[in-house]
Amino acid sequence: MSPDISAGLNKKIAELAARYPKKEAALLPVLHLVQRERGLITAEEEKLVAGLLGLKPIRVREVVTFYTMFYQLPMGKYHIQVCTNLTCTLMGGEKLIDYLQKKLGTKIGATTADRRFTLSEVECLGACEQAPCMMVNFDYYGNLDKEKIDAILKDLD
Amino acid sequence: MSGVEDKVLTQNFGLENLYKVDVYLQQGGYQALKKALKEMTPGQVMEEVKKAGLRGRGGAGFPAGMKWSFVPHKVDQPKLLCVNADEGEPGTFKDRYILSHNPHLLIEGIVIAAFAVGIHTAYIYIRGEYEAVAQRLEAAIAEAYQKSFLGKNILERGFELDLFVHRGAGAYICGEETALLESLEGKRGHPRLKPPFPASVGLFQCPTVINNVETLANVPFIIGKGARWFLDHGLPRDGGTRIFGVSGPVVRPGIYELPVGTSLREIIFSHAGGLKPGKKLKAVIPGGMSAPILRADEIDIKMDCESLAAAGSMLGSAAIIVIDEETPILDVLLKVAKFYSHESCGQCTPCRIGTSWIYKIIKRLMAGDGERGDVDELVRLASNIKGKTLCPMGDAAAMPVISLTQKFRTELESSLKNQ
Amino acid sequence: MIKIVIDNKPVEAQQGETILKAAQQAGIPIPHLCYHPAFPPEGSCRICLVEIERLPKLELACSTVVREGMKISTQTPRVREARRGVLEFLLADHPLDCPICDKAGECDLQDYYQEYGAFKSAFKEAKERREKKIKIGNNLILDRERCVLCTRCVRFLTETTKTQELGVFRRGIRSEISTYDAEFVNNNYSGNLVDLCPVGAITDAQFRFKTRTWFLAPVESICPLCSQGCNIYVDYHPGFPRVPGTAKIYRIRPRLNPDVNDHWICDYGRGGYLLLLNDRWDKLVWRKGDRETVVSWEKALQILAEKIRTFHLKKDTSKIALVLSSWLTNEELFLIKKIFKDDLRLERMFFADPRPGTGDGFLLQAERAPNARGAKEIGFALNPVRLEDLSQNTNLLIVFSPFLAELYSPTALKAVFETIGTKVLVTPRANGLDSLVDFVLPASGMPEKSGSLTNKNGKIQPFSAVCPSCGDSRPEWSILVDLARELKMNDDYYRSLTEPGAILKGLAKEIAFFRKEPLWIS
Repeated sequence: MSPDISAGLNKKIAELAARYPKKEAALLPVLHLVQRERGLITAEEEKLVAGLLGLKPIRVREVVTFYTMFYQLPMGKYHIQVCTNLTCTLMGGEKLIDYLQKKLGTKIGATTADRRFTLSEVECLGACEQAPCMMVNFDYYGNLDKEKIDAILKDLD
Repeated sequence: MSGVEDKVLTQNFGLENLYKVDVYLQQGGYQALKKALKEMTPGQVMEEVKKAGLRGRGGAGFPAGMKWSFVPHKVDQPKLLCVNADEGEPGTFKDRYILSHNPHLLIEGIVIAAFAVGIHTAYIYIRGEYEAVAQRLEAAIAEAYQKSFLGKNILERGFELDLFVHRGAGAYICGEETALLESLEGKRGHPRLKPPFPASVGLFQCPTVINNVETLANVPFIIGKGARWFLDHGLPRDGGTRIFGVSGPVVRPGIYELPVGTSLREIIFSHAGGLKPGKKLKAVIPGGMSAPILRADEIDIKMDCESLAAAGSMLGSAAIIVIDEETPILDVLLKVAKFYSHESCGQCTPCRIGTSWIYKIIKRLMAGDGERGDVDELVRLASNIKGKTLCPMGDAAAMPVISLTQKFRTELESSLKNQ
Repeated sequence: MIKIVIDNKPVEAQQGETILKAAQQAGIPIPHLCYHPAFPPEGSCRICLVEIERLPKLELACSTVVREGMKISTQTPRVREARRGVLEFLLADHPLDCPICDKAGECDLQDYYQEYGAFKSAFKEAKERREKKIKIGNNLILDRERCVLCTRCVRFLTETTKTQELGVFRRGIRSEISTYDAEFVNNNYSGNLVDLCPVGAITDAQFRFKTRTWFLAPVESICPLCSQGCNIYVDYHPGFPRVPGTAKIYRIRPRLNPDVNDHWICDYGRGGYLLLLNDRWDKLVWRKGDRETVVSWEKALQILAEKIRTFHLKKDTSKIALVLSSWLTNEELFLIKKIFKDDLRLERMFFADPRPGTGDGFLLQAERAPNARGAKEIGFALNPVRLEDLSQNTNLLIVFSPFLAELYSPTALKAVFETIGTKVLVTPRANGLDSLVDFVLPASGMPEKSGSLTNKNGKIQPFSAVCPSCGDSRPEWSILVDLARELKMNDDYYRSLTEPGAILKGLAKEIAFFRKEPLWIS
């Protein structure tokens, strides 16, 4: 891992910071960007972001550990996030979790050995009309059943 | 009754590329903005919105015009607007539709609102999961800047507004307005003590208005067609339409824009097609997970803030979750308890510890280890949370537990070992 | 001032004050955990809820501002029930550590539990397990099971020291106080975290498991380690009657003084105070050549007085030199002035004080002595002692300072001392100089005597003795009074000086600066 971030990212961060009267307000959007490039937020990224936004690293970690979308551990190439909130459960979401665990050979919260998939439970994704739903990285998939899941996984490169 | 002419916000949702500014303009978009900036004063705009009885559509139902008027007129600090696009209330997905199908409607509403209050910087706080939606929103904003609907000297009327998208990162609590402000400032989403209220001390300590997406999306119609027209579409003190979201084992889950006050039965059985074949209605959560549940025999009720409040529930985000007879209420209770204990920010004692305690009891019940008195204990704990917390999430966590145990006590107690 | 009613009692409150503050002023305590007077209200513990007439919900006392005519109830069944509810939640997530927890006896959670109904736990689930012995500072241990997440520690480090070593990670029931990896709390005010923590989550590593708080008797005193004069409590264990050697000072804590140190003391003072009674010299020794004789105070002072009288009668007092210290109290410096300067017309008076350190920009001053201002106001020039000053034809040297050995090497001191006829050391610590002098008159250590000190801003602050003077030692003021009587000076006057308060009165009569508010605490 290079200690520096790409010049493009640096520029984007500066742009983001300029949208607020205090640059530290850009923390969440900046962490999203950094995580996009680095895959996760370790102490190295925390210190980097802290330096760019005029914060102490501890304040960055407070934020990283509060929000579910920031990862401190390496994720698989595809992060499969299955909703297990109320409507998705009413529509059979839990069965899909079982199916995915069997199909991928991994458990909730774990990553497959080939590091391709990480499987998680998430709360309501805001797509309840298509329950049961899941999110793969940032892509939403709804009205799922075993066949659809098979098709989606097949399509991933 | 309802028909095509009842659709206000969603009237053009079927149109392809409505999210593109040219298509939006073709449908008459940004005319209301022109009217506001060219023919009205900020005060007149605010009055019109007040008269229209526009209530907040995020969950709290607070009158929007009144909220705007709380911002002091003359202040040294800049006034700010935050658009709450966090949409975290389970069962809710309506704002996603507005944001992805008709972002310019929202932008137009934002500019008019900003004009009314004297705001020159606005942020849309959008939940982190809505990545694709956020990208569409950013594209629409860029178009709006290009066409001079945003930026300096909007429509050559000297009004200036900057609009930015700010992504959240996975925290339901950031839908609570003061937690949203904290998150926007780059911090953990910890709700703030009120008073002071955001209208005086808000984002970056400046006077701030926070409005839900759907609320602001109504503003162009109120200005374009007038408060009277808006009220006629709804109820005397609660004008306009609501975008009801129906989910669960119904034939046609989805969004249904209908006048405020439409009957719940009508929404579920007429518009959403009723329960799927072979399924019978057991209960309905009328306004997102935080709203107290209604039994199958309680759905002859008008879906407006006052009627639902009178029935001991709430309109909330108008997210209707339909529950069928095959679903054990204990399962529903489990999902409720799990959700709030996961989403508790952890700041205040009753919510941080109470939601976890309740979740533990329910897990024990699920495992078949429930004992006599456990159901009473759930009510007792929930009552120790309700009204005692720093923010309304405590009530949101407590009310479903109380209402589920109240209305389905027999069923729940049958799951205990020794009654 | 506005008029409110609390528990049916009319109360006058300040404009803009909170209910909690107004109630406290009126002597009505309201329980609170996250609230601390040094910080703006936090509102997260929820235990300070009170009932306000005409408001439907219970409101927070710590953050609700009083309004004219407000009627507040702090003890209704509804309020007590709410407090019990909060306590129940806290205890459901709290380990049963009281038997091994240092905070027992001074723990807010314990006290409120006693008050709000020592109830049986209804919690039947598995308790959360968390790490219990986390080092967060050189002298600090964090126990996450005991933590009630009041965040006082985080706020102190953010708002007061601005060093931000602690934060809150994760959320909900998983929330935890933490440092940033091994970046421990590393500032001169870390000890205040132990005092701030309302429970035993943050404890002092040196104090851990050493004693129980109910054995400790707090004494009001002043920290003498620098010229700030921070107000302190000294927690003294008077010892178990049948176990010798168990009397001890275990710790000091800050005492609130908005004019001097607010709620805080620095670690330098906090640790330094505990060393004040180390290496005590407590024997009265008269060295004649190689022989050491133990002698009584009466005898020793007789001999000393005789020597002084000899020089005085011969009008040869230039042969007497004094080395003083800014650690002497106002009373002691005043007596020295009266006896040696006014009556004996001594001119050769020098000061041996600890070397200046570095101030920390907050409380700790560069000047590492508590009473230089007092010495100045009493009329001393505070000339630092130089060895050549002493070797100038000195026949009698009286050293009222334990710091000579810090300033000069033993060899250098030995060389000079050998040129001096009679050397008298009046000190609580000999620091190796006992072999170089003729008399060692053991003086009390700072914790063993009473008196007053003048801080750098001119504030005159009294302090009380914490423990009895050990061995033969006596406070310098007492030694000086007896010496004066031995010298047959104004006996009526000196005989009346039976305790420091009387000396301070005399000082105030003579020097206007000391004519301030009545100070003496019994």
